[in-house]
Amino acid sequence: MTTRPTAPAAPARPTAPALTAPGFPEEPVRARARLGTAAVFPDPAAYGSRLFGPTAAAAGDALDRMRIVPPVFMPERLEKLIDLAREPEFDDVDLTTRVGGFTARLPLYLSAFGSTRAGSGDLAVHASRQAARLGIPMVIGENMVPVHGYRRGGAGGGDATRSALLARVEAYLEAAPDGTGGIVVQQSTEDADSEVWNLLYSDPAFRPLLETGRLAFELKTGQGAKPGLGGMTVVDRAEAEQLARRFTVREVFGPDAPRSLRCATPGTFTEEILRQQLRFMRNNFPKARTWVKFHPGRDIGHAARTAWAAGADAVTVDGAEGGTGWAPGVFLDQVGLPLAEALRRIGTPTGCLLATGGVWEGGRAVRALALGAGAVGLGRAALVAVDEDPEHGLERLVGALALELRLLVSALGKYAPAALAPDDLWSPPPFPDPYAGPDPYAGPAPYAGPAPDPHRAPTHPRAPGPAPVHAPTSAPASVHAHAHAHAQTQAPAPVHAQAPTPAPDQAPPTASAGPSAPGPAPADGPGRSA
Amino acid sequence: MDLTAATADETAPGTPPPLGEHLRSPRLRTAMLVQQEALQAARDYLRGEGFTELLPPLVGPVTDPGGRGAKALDVDYYGHPYKLMTSAILYKQASLRGFPRLFYIAPNVRVEPEETATTGRHLVEFHQIDVEIADASREDAQEIAAGLLTHVTEHVWTAVPELLTGLGREEADFADVRAGKYDVRTHEEAVARLLSLGHPQNPDGEIDWTGERILSLESDRPFFVDDYPKGSRGFYDREDPERPGVLRNFDLIAPHGYGELVSGSEREADYATLVTRMRESGENPAKYAWYLKEAREGIPSSAGFGMGLQRLVRFLTGLDALWQVSAYPKLPGVVAP
Repeated sequence: MTTRPTAPAAPARPTAPALTAPGFPEEPVRARARLGTAAVFPDPAAYGSRLFGPTAAAAGDALDRMRIVPPVFMPERLEKLIDLAREPEFDDVDLTTRVGGFTARLPLYLSAFGSTRAGSGDLAVHASRQAARLGIPMVIGENMVPVHGYRRGGAGGGDATRSALLARVEAYLEAAPDGTGGIVVQQSTEDADSEVWNLLYSDPAFRPLLETGRLAFELKTGQGAKPGLGGMTVVDRAEAEQLARRFTVREVFGPDAPRSLRCATPGTFTEEILRQQLRFMRNNFPKARTWVKFHPGRDIGHAARTAWAAGADAVTVDGAEGGTGWAPGVFLDQVGLPLAEALRRIGTPTGCLLATGGVWEGGRAVRALALGAGAVGLGRAALVAVDEDPEHGLERLVGALALELRLLVSALGKYAPAALAPDDLWSPPPFPDPYAGPDPYAGPAPYAGPAPDPHRAPTHPRAPGPAPVHAPTSAPASVHAHAHAHAQTQAPAPVHAQAPTPAPDQAPPTASAGPSAPGPAPADGPGRSA
Repeated sequence: MDLTAATADETAPGTPPPLGEHLRSPRLRTAMLVQQEALQAARDYLRGEGFTELLPPLVGPVTDPGGRGAKALDVDYYGHPYKLMTSAILYKQASLRGFPRLFYIAPNVRVEPEETATTGRHLVEFHQIDVEIADASREDAQEIAAGLLTHVTEHVWTAVPELLTGLGREEADFADVRAGKYDVRTHEEAVARLLSLGHPQNPDGEIDWTGERILSLESDRPFFVDDYPKGSRGFYDREDPERPGVLRNFDLIAPHGYGELVSGSEREADYATLVTRMRESGENPAKYAWYLKEAREGIPSSAGFGMGLQRLVRFLTGLDALWQVSAYPKLPGVVAP
């Protein structure tokens, strides 16, 4: 799967430009001058086949830079030794976890893919089946019903007309072992118009789930890929006309472009609206669990505590690294708290906390669990895995992740994910050790405004000298909080037709390899820099 | 009519017989005779109180969002997604400027969750005596609701006592209703009572079906339950300005296990509060454009209620299940003609 985001293909420049603007992000400005609003987004031609996420410039966040630090003395290992009457091994780590009211065999769940094309086709069905076999819960994203419909069409109910949502539910139910896992269904503002939760709650097909306590509804207030915005997908003309009544459809790719942008609203939330919506869900769907998903907002700690106090069975926080979703580039790279900071602001959870955002291997999972998450979600990683092997890709990916979890958790002298704690991690300078000084994990505290951002590093001094004209310019260092740590990373080339010429403050292409090399970089594969 | 046969031959099975058989049953015939007396008495009473009867709409772009997991049926209306009325509450409010005291005998359709099929108190298709009063308080609405129930009961016992006794009803059981004796308790008190009896009642929600039956069984006279918590009812139930989180609403519960007959409230009429309350119940205000336009231009404050017609007839006849007092019963989850 090609993963490098690119800007939309540009019409040819009519004449050679006369001006140059050294030190200025000239090429993006020129791209916008040519393309207008289309330049705000990745290339719509890649829609449906590419998973979006932060570009290389923003990858490798504070969570990834923390190290997992086993102690020398391990009283909990002694407890396990006494329990087992033999030395514990890494296989003795019990990964069974309560996840939002469900029992999961691993501290994992399948994140929402939503109504985007990449997230609602066959891949999603394969991912559902494998998640069921793994005994982990699955979240089904918003806007599936208003976009794809609910019931099967036609008397025969052939595959071609089968509803995307029901196909996933059936695949999951066929493969799920008794007593483990569960299905979580989101509902957006537009879904509320279609009464998605009501449809499911009263559908006999969902009765087995309800009776075994394995259905949850997730109130979605936002997502990591575009905090503060609603869902966005790219639609062709026919779809646009069909959806125009339910959604806003905008011609951001140009009046003559074959595609348009379908926008859902994010919904308005206040503390009281959240509290009342949760109460309403619990009153109306008493047999379903109640989950809430937040974007990584600056008041995430306050929001999470409000949700738990209102009875939410789980609070999901989607780090800014998260999201399979289509989003404006400026949101992918520059908006929202990184997962580490979101977890820091939440502090010690007073309920089940779930975290997503760039998780694909055991290390990042352990770090998120140590910072308070009860389980972590797999989004892009799961889609890429089933794209690699539709039958068993996700199972193998998770098998590897689970082995790493057992190795890491046992190395910390612990034998259950819930035993992980913040002191299992160490943050290298310049990121302050969050456990030095006043303990931010001492307990839930009332929200007292934004914490100082420990990730805001001094601006990287740009190398002197003019940038070559028309080079695919890296964004100015000042817009990248982590620029100091990513001197070799590069913002995506706004116009991929341009030859990649290194900017002065970048290493030459031959000096580095992999994600940090200029040119095609797996910037939005499983979101972790190598 | 051989009423003895009507009661002796027909036990109360959980589900109706085939429709033709049901329509031929003497018991249904008795119930319908009681129903038409009740309807006539209700109209007489309300018109005597200065109300105007309107006929309600059947479909619209939105309907009462309700709660408790019941959903509205979709109708394709010239390509627009319309709903069959689950209740005409929004239209009642919008009518007040022209009709300050109005009522409907309103047909409603609610696709109830299947678990309500066994309560004996839910039908997918049912009717309400739907009342709205401009510039009225909750207590004003409760007075009309109580007066209506008393008047209907009195009329039925006067006009067709043999039908009721033929079904095994005891006139003495209706003494308090006919004398207009009603009790009042708060939702909080009802919850406390249920918890003390060991029933796990959610303090933030409606009194559940079992809880309602418990309270109804231990009472000999009808009683109001006031002050349901916010979040348990629709956005149009007015929040008590003195007590945030408490709604100025009520249910009227029949005695002897027959349960809820009436739901009502003071209504919210303030535009901004309505929009906010819609969000709090997860609704999209854009759907309610026509209603919010009316609210913006000014809907009178009001109070009102809906009295379930089939529930009223079941209470009068003492039959076990609501389907026994409906000519064309549709039980939740059961596909019926």
